[in-house]
Amino acid sequence: MWKYVFRRLLYLIPTVIGVTFIVFLLLFITPGDPARMILGDQATEEAVADLREEMGLNDPFLAQYGRYLYNAVFHFDIGRSYVTHAPVTQEIKAAFPATLKLATLAVVLAVVLGIPVGIFSAIKQYSILDNLAMVFALVGISMPVFWLGLLLILLFSVHLGWLPASGFDSFKYMIMPAVTLCTASLAVISRMTRSSMLEVVRQDYIRTARAKGQKERVVVWHHALGNALIPIVTIIGIQFGSLLGGAVLTESIFSVPGVGRLMVEAIKMRDYPVVQGGVLYIAILCSLVNLLVDILYAYIDPRIKSQYS
Amino acid sequence: MSAKSNENLRGVVLRFSKNRFAVLGLILIILFCLVAVFASHIAPYSYEEQDLLNTLMPPSSEHWFGTDEFGRDIFSRIIYASRVSLKVGIIAVGIGMIVGGILGAVSGYYGGWLDNLIMRAMDILLSIPSILLAIAIAASLGPGVVNIMIAIGISSVPQYARIVRGSVLSIRSQQFVIAARAVGGRDFHIIFKHILPNCMAPIIVQATLGVAWAILNTAGLSFIGLGIQPPIPEWGAMLSSGRNYIRDFSYMTLFPGLAIMITILALNFVGDGLRDALDPKMKR
Amino acid sequence: MSISWLKKFGLVAMCFALVLGMSSGALAAKDTLVVANMYDAKSLDPHVTPDVGSAHIMVQIYETLLKTDDKGEIVPSLAESYEKIDDCTYRFHLREGVKFHNGEELKASDVAFTFHRAIEIGKTIGFIVGNIDPASIKVEDDYTIVMGTKTPDTSFLACLTHFGGGCILNEKAVNEAGDDYGTHPVGTGPYKFVDWQKGDRITLTRFDEYWGTKPAIKDVVVRAITEQTNRTIELESGGVDIAYAIPPLDIRRIEENSKLKLIRVPDVSVQYMGFNCSKKPFSDVRVRQAITMALDLEKLNKAVYRGIGGPAYGPIPPRLRYFNTNLSILKYDPERAKELLAEAGYPEGFKASIWTNDRKERIDIATIAQSMLAKVGITVDIQVMEWGAYLDKLSEKQHDMYLMGWSTPIPDPDYAVYGIFHSSQIKGMNKSVYSNPKADELMDRGRTLPDGDERRAIYEELQTLLVQEAPWVFVHNGEEVVGTSKNVKGFVADPAGYHKLYTVSFEE
Repeated sequence: MWKYVFRRLLYLIPTVIGVTFIVFLLLFITPGDPARMILGDQATEEAVADLREEMGLNDPFLAQYGRYLYNAVFHFDIGRSYVTHAPVTQEIKAAFPATLKLATLAVVLAVVLGIPVGIFSAIKQYSILDNLAMVFALVGISMPVFWLGLLLILLFSVHLGWLPASGFDSFKYMIMPAVTLCTASLAVISRMTRSSMLEVVRQDYIRTARAKGQKERVVVWHHALGNALIPIVTIIGIQFGSLLGGAVLTESIFSVPGVGRLMVEAIKMRDYPVVQGGVLYIAILCSLVNLLVDILYAYIDPRIKSQYS
Repeated sequence: MSAKSNENLRGVVLRFSKNRFAVLGLILIILFCLVAVFASHIAPYSYEEQDLLNTLMPPSSEHWFGTDEFGRDIFSRIIYASRVSLKVGIIAVGIGMIVGGILGAVSGYYGGWLDNLIMRAMDILLSIPSILLAIAIAASLGPGVVNIMIAIGISSVPQYARIVRGSVLSIRSQQFVIAARAVGGRDFHIIFKHILPNCMAPIIVQATLGVAWAILNTAGLSFIGLGIQPPIPEWGAMLSSGRNYIRDFSYMTLFPGLAIMITILALNFVGDGLRDALDPKMKR
Repeated sequence: MSISWLKKFGLVAMCFALVLGMSSGALAAKDTLVVANMYDAKSLDPHVTPDVGSAHIMVQIYETLLKTDDKGEIVPSLAESYEKIDDCTYRFHLREGVKFHNGEELKASDVAFTFHRAIEIGKTIGFIVGNIDPASIKVEDDYTIVMGTKTPDTSFLACLTHFGGGCILNEKAVNEAGDDYGTHPVGTGPYKFVDWQKGDRITLTRFDEYWGTKPAIKDVVVRAITEQTNRTIELESGGVDIAYAIPPLDIRRIEENSKLKLIRVPDVSVQYMGFNCSKKPFSDVRVRQAITMALDLEKLNKAVYRGIGGPAYGPIPPRLRYFNTNLSILKYDPERAKELLAEAGYPEGFKASIWTNDRKERIDIATIAQSMLAKVGITVDIQVMEWGAYLDKLSEKQHDMYLMGWSTPIPDPDYAVYGIFHSSQIKGMNKSVYSNPKADELMDRGRTLPDGDERRAIYEELQTLLVQEAPWVFVHNGEEVVGTSKNVKGFVADPAGYHKLYTVSFEE
C-alpha cells in the first residue's frame, strides 16, 4: 500500500516541474512586454528597454526558466508580482481561501444533492421522476456557467433583492456563486451515481443477497452503494479539480476575490510570476486531490488493494 | 468481418432510434447545422448593420429578439453566431482528435518508454484545469477565432489520447492483431487499418461531447474577452456585452444563453444516445 | 464557592460586554463610510504605481507639498509657503508639528528622502518626477528644503500636487517596512491605514493627530467591486454609501431614486483616435481632416457613452487651465469629407485598419467608426488586442489608426500636450508619430513661460493648430460620475478622479 503511495508521490514531482515548464513556455511566447506593462503607457522606449535588461527578460529562455526553477526549489521563492511588487506567494495566499471555500462548498452541495438524486433515480428507474431528474441533470451540464450566474444575479439580486451580487464577506455572499459552480458537478455526480448503481444492481452478488432474503434497504445501502461508490469517488476527485479551474468564470461574475480571477487579471496584465505561481498551486492541488482519490480508490477497491499489499 | 460490422451498425442505429431524447437531439443538431450553413438566407438583417437610432429596443415584430447597443438585430446575430460555433466545434475537436488520436495510438501500440513519456506529458496537461490552459494558450497566441480554436483544440488533446490509448491497449492483444503482425504487416498499416476502426466507438462519443465542450469553452473565453474581433457575433461575446445591460435589457443575455444551452443539450442527448447505443452492455 | 461566583460574574460581565459591543456596533455602522471602488488597489506605495484605483486610497492617507483647491488653483498643503529662487529652483517652508501615522514628525529630510526615492525607483512616475534634478535637492534645516528641475518647467509646481509622485513618505517607515511597504503605508493624511484584504477591501481609520481638520467619519472601508452594475446594485441596497464610476445606463436609475444622489463632474481625460502621421495616406492632413469630418461624433458619443461627457474639443480637457473656449472644430460633414479625400487623391476611398485594446467603449467606438467611414468609401478592419500586445505593436509604428485615451491628472496644460504631440516624444507616447516644428516650438515655449496672458496665448494657438492639423480625432471628454446615498454630505468629486473622502459626513 505504502509503496503505491510513495510511487505516486514520486510521479508528482516530474509532473509539477512539467507544469511549470509548459506555463513558462506559453508565457514566454506571449506577445506583450511585462516591462512595458509595469511602466504603464507614459513610459519612454528607453525606460522600457532598461527595465527589460534589469529584469533579465532578454536572457535566453532556458536561462530564465532555470533561474526560476532554482529559486522556487531552493528558496521557495517564486518571485514577485510585476504589478504590485508583493511576493507571489502572498498574492496567492490571499486569494486562495476564497476559491477554496467556494470550491469546497460547491463540491459539498454537489455531493449532498447529487448522490441521493442518483440513487433515487436508479431505484425508480424509468419512472417519471427518473426521467425528469436526468433531463435536469443534462440541462445542468449544458448550461453555460456564466449564463447561469447572470440569471441568478438577475433573479435574486436585481429583481428580488434577496442576495448580494458581489463580494465575499459572509455566508450569504457565497450562496449564489457556490450554487452556480456546483450545477455542472451536481449533474455529473447524479448521472454517474445513477449509472453506477444501475450497473452494480445487476451484478450477481446483489441477486445473491436478495435471494438470501436480505431486506431491500440493506441490499441497496450496504451492498450496492458501497460498490457503486468506487467510481463515484473518482469522479468527485476529478470534479474538484475542474471546479478549481472552472471557478474562473464564476469568480469574474460575482467579483469573488479568488485565484481564478487573479489568474485572468494576471494574464491580461502579463504579470508572469503571478500566473506561473497560480497555475503551479492549482496544478499541485489538483494532483494531490487526484492522488488522494486514487489512494482512496485503491483502498476501497479490494482488487487494486491486493495488487499492492 | 464486414457482415458482422454491418449487423453491428444496424444494431447501433436501431438502439439509437429507440432513444427519444437522442433522436430529438439529432434533429436539433441537424437544424443547427442547417441554420449555420444557410444563415444568410434565414437571418432578416446582416449581423453588422447598425441602427444607432434604435439601440436597445426590446423584442418586437421587426426585431424578434430586440436590438443590441448598436441597434443590430439580435436574432440575426444569434443565427450568424451559430456559424462561429460550428466552425470552432469542428476544428477544435478535429485538432484534438487527430493529435490526441495519433499520440494515443502510438503510445498504446508501442508501449515502453514512449508510452510513459507521452502519458506523462498528457498528465501534465491534464493537471492544469482545461479552461485555464485554454486561457493561457489563447492569451499567448493572441486574439481571433482561429487562435481560440487552436487553444481549445490543444487543451482537449489529452482526453482523446487517453481514450485511444485505452482502446489500442485492449485490442492490441487480440488475435487478429497478433496474426497481422506475425504475417509481417507494417505497424502503421496495422494501426490504421485494424486497430483504429475498432476504437471508433468511444472516440465518436467523446467527439460529440467534445464539440459541446468546445462550444461552451469558446463562449467562456469570449465572455472573459479573449478573442473575437468585432463585429463578428459569437454567443459568449454577446453574453459578455449584454452583461452590462442586464438590469434593464435582460433579453440581451437571455437569447444567446438559450442558444448555447439548447445546442449543448442537443449535443449531449446525441452523445448519450450514441454511448448507450454503441455499448451493448447498457441495456435501456 | 468564590470560584463559581467569579465564573458567574465573568459570564454576566461577558454578556454585558457583548450587548454593549453589539450596540456600539450598531452605532459604529453609522460611523463607517463604505465606498465601492472600480478595482482593488495595486499597491499603496505611491512610487510603485500611479493608477487611479490605488490613488483613491492614497488620497486619504498621504499628503503633498502643495495641493489644488476646488477651483483648480495650486495652494499650500504640507508646505506652508514657497518662493522661487531662480528659473528652475524653489524653496519650500514646511509646516511644523505635522505628524506621520507612526508618530514621527515631518521633517525636510523626509521630503528629500521621498523625492530621491521617487527619482530612483519610481519608474512608473517618471512623467511626474523625471524632470526633478536630484542634485538640486538641499535640506537647509528641519523645515526648509530647496528643490529644482533640470530645465525651466512651469508645470513643476503642478507636478508636486500629484498623488503619485508628490506624496510625502516617512523615511523611517519606508526603511522599516522594506519590500512590504506597499501593504504597510504610512502618511500624514487625515486617515490612516488599518487593514487590506486583498481583492476585497481596504480599511482605514481616522488619524487623531492630524494637523488639519479631522474627518467627521471615523472608519472608511473601500471595497473593490469590478462589475459596474454591481456597484450600482450595492449602492441601491445600502451595501455601500458611495459608488465610483457609475456606468451611463445606471444614471437615470440613480437620479430617479429618492434615496440616492448623483454627482457628475467633467473629467480630465480625452478618448481619441490617433493617426499614424508618418504613414500614407494619413501623412496628408486632408485625409486626416476628411476622416474627422466623416465621423458624426455627437451620434457616436450618444451611442457609446449614453449622455456621459461628450465630444471633445481638442487635446485640452475643458476644465483645465487655458482651454480655448473659442475653438472651432472640424464639424461633421461627410460631403466635404469626400471632397477632401478626392482632393488628396483618394476619390474611391481606401482600406485601413483601426487598432484598439479590449476595452468595451473603445471596441464600440471602433465599430461605429467602421460603419460611418464606410459611407465615405473607407473600408475599415478592426483589430482588437490585449493591452500588453497593443502597446508593443504600437511602438512598431506600423499602425494606421488606433484608439487610446490620455488623461491629465497634473493640472497643467503642458502635460496635456507635450508627451503626445512633441516630436521628441515619438519614442515615447507620441504614437501618432506627429512631428510639426511649429507645434514643437509652441510647446517648448509654453512650458517655460510663467503663468499669464502670454502663456495663455501660446496654448490657445497650439490648440487651434492641433485641431486643424488633426493628428487625432478628438472623440470624447469624459465625466467622473459618482453615486452616493442621500445622507452623504460634503462629497466633492475631483475631475482627475482623486476623490477626497475626508470631507464627507453623514446627515442625521
